[in-house]
Amino acid sequence: MPQSPSLSAAAGPKRPTELLRALFRRNETVLLVCLVALIVFFSFASGTFLTTRNITNVLGQASLAMIAGIGIGVVVLAGEIDVSIGSLVGAVGIPLVVVMNQTGSLELGMAAALLLALGVGVANGYLAAYLGINSLIVTLGTMFVIRGGIYLYTGQRAISDDLQLESFYQMGNGRLLGTVPYPALVALVLLVAFVYLMRHRPFGRQIYAVGGNPEVARLAGYNVKRLKFAAFVICSLLAGISGILLSSRLGSAVHVAGLGFEFQVVAAVVLGGVSLAGGVGSLLGVALGVLILAFLSNGLGMLNIATEWQLVITGLIIIAAVAFDELKRRRQ
Amino acid sequence: MPADAATAAVVRPAGPALEMAGIGKRFPGVLALENVDLTLEPGKVHALMGENGAGKSTLIKILAGVYQRDAGTVRIGGAEADLRSPRDALRAGIKVVFQEIALISEFTVAENIFLEEYPVNGLGSIRWSTIRKEAAALFARLGFDVDPAAKVGQLPVSQQQMVEIARALAHEARIVVMDEPTSSLTPNEVALLFTVIRRLTGLGIAVLYVTHKLDEVFEIADTVTVLRDGRHISTRPIGAHTHESLIQDMIGRKIDNLFPRERGAARGDVVVKVEGLSTDKLKDVSFEAKAGEVLGFFGLMGAGRTELAKAIVGFDPIRTGRISIGGTPLVPHNTRTGVALGIGLLTEDRKSEGLMLELPVLQNTSLAALEDFARAGFVDEGRERSAVQQFVDRFRVKTPSLNQQIKNLSGGNQQKVLLARWLMRGLKVIVVDEPTRGIDVGAKSEIFALIDRLAGEGLAVIMMTSEMPELLGLSDRIAVMAEGRITAVMDREGATQEAILNAAIA
Repeated sequence: MPQSPSLSAAAGPKRPTELLRALFRRNETVLLVCLVALIVFFSFASGTFLTTRNITNVLGQASLAMIAGIGIGVVVLAGEIDVSIGSLVGAVGIPLVVVMNQTGSLELGMAAALLLALGVGVANGYLAAYLGINSLIVTLGTMFVIRGGIYLYTGQRAISDDLQLESFYQMGNGRLLGTVPYPALVALVLLVAFVYLMRHRPFGRQIYAVGGNPEVARLAGYNVKRLKFAAFVICSLLAGISGILLSSRLGSAVHVAGLGFEFQVVAAVVLGGVSLAGGVGSLLGVALGVLILAFLSNGLGMLNIATEWQLVITGLIIIAAVAFDELKRRRQ
Repeated sequence: MPADAATAAVVRPAGPALEMAGIGKRFPGVLALENVDLTLEPGKVHALMGENGAGKSTLIKILAGVYQRDAGTVRIGGAEADLRSPRDALRAGIKVVFQEIALISEFTVAENIFLEEYPVNGLGSIRWSTIRKEAAALFARLGFDVDPAAKVGQLPVSQQQMVEIARALAHEARIVVMDEPTSSLTPNEVALLFTVIRRLTGLGIAVLYVTHKLDEVFEIADTVTVLRDGRHISTRPIGAHTHESLIQDMIGRKIDNLFPRERGAARGDVVVKVEGLSTDKLKDVSFEAKAGEVLGFFGLMGAGRTELAKAIVGFDPIRTGRISIGGTPLVPHNTRTGVALGIGLLTEDRKSEGLMLELPVLQNTSLAALEDFARAGFVDEGRERSAVQQFVDRFRVKTPSLNQQIKNLSGGNQQKVLLARWLMRGLKVIVVDEPTRGIDVGAKSEIFALIDRLAGEGLAVIMMTSEMPELLGLSDRIAVMAEGRITAVMDREGATQEAILNAAIA
């Protein structure tokens, strides 16, 4: 048999330096290093930063964005976007508190809240995936519709929780063994579950494929529309969970809750290395992106830097991070 | 050898692997396929040949489940099959390797192979170790060396093709269709591909090899079917063919008199001079074009015609070489300089690179010449309108008014508007890329007459085409391209279809 012309591709990394280099090619490693550097910096810069209380506080605050960020991550990986989650996070508090007040049941309240989230997810998914309307426009629309609905229903006042259930309070404010906030635990469980789903279940890989190249996915026999639809439903349900925890923290359904939340989350997702073009990135990256922004905001606050400057710095960091990523990609 | 062991294990079904009979397919306004038959035998390579537009692509898209046939029957392994979606085709054991590689570039090689159906364990988790092992085993069986853990996007096209073929085997395809598989391969890679194809046939797989490259067909095919204008022309064993008889079957028709030539034998000054032009796709291209002549460029798919067109007008970057228009070098190399020097491109893809579909005829026509109608920075609409109206009348553009949206005009009239857009600028050179693509026959002859007239008025016309009649009917001189080079330049009088095709295949 004649010798075939060689088609050898680069063999896997073998030596330790190569392993290190391969590790650093991974976006998550870079993000992790940034996060650690950030924490180290603030620990030295501020005496009150590195305390169990402060760190667990930040984790508790970050968990709401983390839960919603997982959902946005899934939608963006599928090649779409959802900016209605801020309004949705605010809206789910209403059925939650109203049903609780009337029935005295936390479970029924939560069910009502998730039902609303499901409805919004189905609407977004149907309009964007099945009718093929651009998802930015669809969810921009639902964002306004939902917020308008909240104002109409509440008359621009918060709806108070008359029942004052301890279990409802504990959900958002309690801590496991007095240290780890429950929302952080919820976020961790969901993160592990969705990382597994996106990496190790055919469904997750199909979401990646659909976002990466819908035409190839269709040729591979995928139902592209159904997969995108599912991504929107997942995103809304996760925003719903985030909204329930937020209500618990606020102790009521607040009409302005979640204003601007969607862009905070999208920023974290992008910072985490998820490409808005779809198909590229990981939920681990999203989690790191959320944590970086959370610790940044907390640390800057501790250094008594004005909120105005915090916004400017956050914005510059997001642009710098994405530019860095883009340059790295171009070099490859 | 593992391949031989595998061969022995395969049970060869008796009878044809695929029988397509009386296949018909109609698109709005075009009969793409009419009563086409095709039979594939297991373990054989069947070549499907024809010029551009002969219907090859339509036929394989029907096989892939991308298009639905309008008439005829498809039998796979003797049983009637209905291929309504890509999924149906895969289930029926058909794997089509398209020219546009259908892989997810962010995924690894191994994962891409199992894209259609991930192997899962009892809990529904993907068995990654199985994927890696089976991918490696497949590559071993096919005898090539691709790292299953590599990201597909980082592999050269040749290796991506191997991944596609491995994917076919992973799904136990009985029929593998390859669409122009060598269009972006080097000779070494082609040799490897042929080795792989022989392994496939050794496994009893039927291979449909779609191409227009004669040499490859004589090397690899057992049988050849030729299509022309959507019809079945011939099916013969390769031994019964010569180069000449195959070309005869592919061309077949006489050039009719679509081409009223009214201009004289113009011999003006050289207005375009290209020397040693190289880009990613082009290699050392040099030529000249004179005022008043039509210089036709012919080449098969992937020969580099469109790339050349885009490079000489300043649209695509060049690596080395000199381009000068009317004696002035095209520096800096961009379209702004190009337009200023008087060279414009009539693009191959009207819809995405030429027209602003939602805008009216008026704006579409005046686009490139807007600055000429400006007074103190504002467009004088009266002057704009009267100038556009002149061209619309002169070119006989059929439109109810200048305010009509361009998308409502026919392809031929759209093309006239695009020509007018450039001529308003007072060009010296126009590059037209596939000027009659998607235009019906009647309008074609009008476009031809227009090109003839423009050359007669002293414009240099550089025409890129894959249509032989158009080339022979319009050109004063003919340059033939293959794989990014000019392989022959001939005068119209000395050119024959055979000589041109031979140079294009070289």
